[in-house]
Amino acid sequence: MKNKAGFISLFIFSFMCMFLFSTVSVSAASSDEKVVLRICNWEEYIDEGDWDEEEVIDLESGDILGENSLLDDFEEWYKENYGVEVEVQYSTFGTNEDLYNMLTIGDVYDLVCPSEYMIMKLMAEGRLEALSEEFFDESVENNYYIRGVSPFIRDMFESNSINGEAWANYAAGYMWGVTGIVYNPELVDEEDVKTYNIITNPKYYRQITLKDSVRESYFPAMAAIKAEKLQSEEFLSSPDYHDNLMKEMNDVSPETIDQIEDYLKKARANIYSFETDSGKADMITGKVVANYQWSGDAVYIMDQADEDDYPLMFSVPEECTNIYFDGWVMLKAGVDQDPAKKQACEAFMNFMSRPDNVIRNMYYIGYTSVISGGEDERIFEYLDWNFSAEEESEETVEYDVSYFFADDKDEKYTIMTDPIQLKRQLFAQYPTEDVINRTSIMTYFDDDTNSIINQMWINVRCFSIKDVPIWAWILIVLGIVYFIALLHKSNKIIK
Amino acid sequence: MRFTRRSLRIPYIIFLLLFVIAPLLVLFYYGFTDASGRISFANIVGFFTDENTLGTLFYSLLIAFVTTLVCLVVAYPVAYILGTSNLKSKSVIIMIFIMPMWINFSLRITALKEILTLLEGNLSYHPFLNSVIGMAYDFFPFMILPIYNVISKQDSSLVEAARDLGATSFQTFIRVTLPLSIPGILSGISMVFLPAMTNYVVLDMLYNSTYIMGSLIGSYFSSYNWHSGSMIALVLLGIICLFTFFTGGFDEDNENAGGAIL
Repeated sequence: MKNKAGFISLFIFSFMCMFLFSTVSVSAASSDEKVVLRICNWEEYIDEGDWDEEEVIDLESGDILGENSLLDDFEEWYKENYGVEVEVQYSTFGTNEDLYNMLTIGDVYDLVCPSEYMIMKLMAEGRLEALSEEFFDESVENNYYIRGVSPFIRDMFESNSINGEAWANYAAGYMWGVTGIVYNPELVDEEDVKTYNIITNPKYYRQITLKDSVRESYFPAMAAIKAEKLQSEEFLSSPDYHDNLMKEMNDVSPETIDQIEDYLKKARANIYSFETDSGKADMITGKVVANYQWSGDAVYIMDQADEDDYPLMFSVPEECTNIYFDGWVMLKAGVDQDPAKKQACEAFMNFMSRPDNVIRNMYYIGYTSVISGGEDERIFEYLDWNFSAEEESEETVEYDVSYFFADDKDEKYTIMTDPIQLKRQLFAQYPTEDVINRTSIMTYFDDDTNSIINQMWINVRCFSIKDVPIWAWILIVLGIVYFIALLHKSNKIIK
Repeated sequence: MRFTRRSLRIPYIIFLLLFVIAPLLVLFYYGFTDASGRISFANIVGFFTDENTLGTLFYSLLIAFVTTLVCLVVAYPVAYILGTSNLKSKSVIIMIFIMPMWINFSLRITALKEILTLLEGNLSYHPFLNSVIGMAYDFFPFMILPIYNVISKQDSSLVEAARDLGATSFQTFIRVTLPLSIPGILSGISMVFLPAMTNYVVLDMLYNSTYIMGSLIGSYFSSYNWHSGSMIALVLLGIICLFTFFTGGFDEDNENAGGAIL
């Protein structure tokens, strides 16, 4: 035990040295009543301002233009509205797992923006600070989040829970979307992208990319395996369809994991590669014809490809789709029951939910915000500004987004748009209601399951020693013997 | 405290403690404990019994071996010709070979990706070949420099003596020049072979979906299993030490020792 204590103290010592400076600055700042807010967000996941004049979004209700970074705007706005100076220390992370590792090592943040499954994991581990009651008070003008969050998202946050507590008590949503397949309509049959089985379709041998992540491969593989069941009449017409779908898509039984391993091995032999970050570029440059993608990035890909007159489309397979979102959560370790800090955190979430800021973020990032605006119609107006068909165009279709914007069933929110948008950016940003009906959340894996599934992933990705043929072993032994003999000889010569 | 010559060592001691000793201890701590923090040898046993880890080790060694071979076969003639010639501009020519090293690594591989796509059409048909090309392209300068250095410093009177005594030029090369250049070859090999075993970024960027040691470590860390990941890093460290030992890198009288350890 003594040894262990030694190791740990050395470990702590080395980290203390590294964080010495940051600690000093924090304690100095808190003495003159300035709130320091340590925020950690995804890379390129907030509007950094500096737009050109041409980029102005000229809605009828007023122009929207990102001049300064939203972070600077927040500092100013907070001082004006709450009379307290706030300093945002902003940093970014690359993956949810990176963030989790950073928190485990001892990095301290007040406010972070992980994805739904990481929020669930952090919630289950009791690391999150609950939102205050004032945050949910719709009569306060500055509570933009609760006044503007889409009823559809609000419902999801209230109906899902961890350890008996609803997500809504801990997390304020930021961006959301579904997973699907971006494809090149000239080279891919529309029928083929209606199923996840396209990843093992020999017709597209070495032309499709999947994501280099266990979770993002697990989901499509599971949907492909269960395709028949998920689309059977019996399954679809069940009154508990949605609960059953959730159950099926969060299946981590050993048999299913084995099946998925086999399926992914088959997929691996058929796909172009598991891409880490090159998927977007490869799609745009035409190296691949289809790419499993998050809807937000799909919008980005289609936008970029449009600039080269290279039309791409987005499809959500008919089995089901993974609905995901990123949300703001406060960390107990950071906020540490400091009311001033908590107030600033919540104000930040609200500021990010103010409709004009939402529009700036959506324009900049390409993802879809969870905010519909409530009584403020500007977000719908922005959608209309973005996607409504030009007046002279002959053919238009009515596109219904009421599920997202309408507070009650009688209200209708529709856009008259170009029919092509049913398969393009509009569809990716606000999928149709029938897509929403077949969405499933993918929950976090507990520690044991996580290591089993990671092992499955390693089995898929690694070269097995059993696959080495005998002649190779003989060659290796001969080679080593020869090499040692050679070294022996050469050492003699040198000496 | 009076400033003496001994005070000069302080920055190095701090550097050693923070960036060499401390990380190594942390590595040992995680490598030999399990998730609950107890001392455990499960990780090291796991390494040598898991078919995937061993397979990955095999695959990494294979890639590194082929890469080193390619580098050697390409670099040696160039180094030999330049090292023995009387060209005035040979340092310029050597510089041209080394120049790519001064350009950002990921930029170079991205460019290579486009070139290979032009040549092959679809990169995913030949993942192993592409990885070797990428690695060889990346590490080539590390092979050519030490060999060139050794050959250009060779005493030309030895070659002349061999020729005077009736050896053909081929015999001279085999019996004199080649044995004398072995230290350069060894140091070149160790500078190419070891990084090639773990540089998974090249594989990722060139769409090789098979894991090598580096990616396997990454995979363990992203599933929060720091223990198995650390053990793999430790075993790699052990392999590197063994390798350096065998190639004489620890001999103090070997003037290329520094290169071999690197």
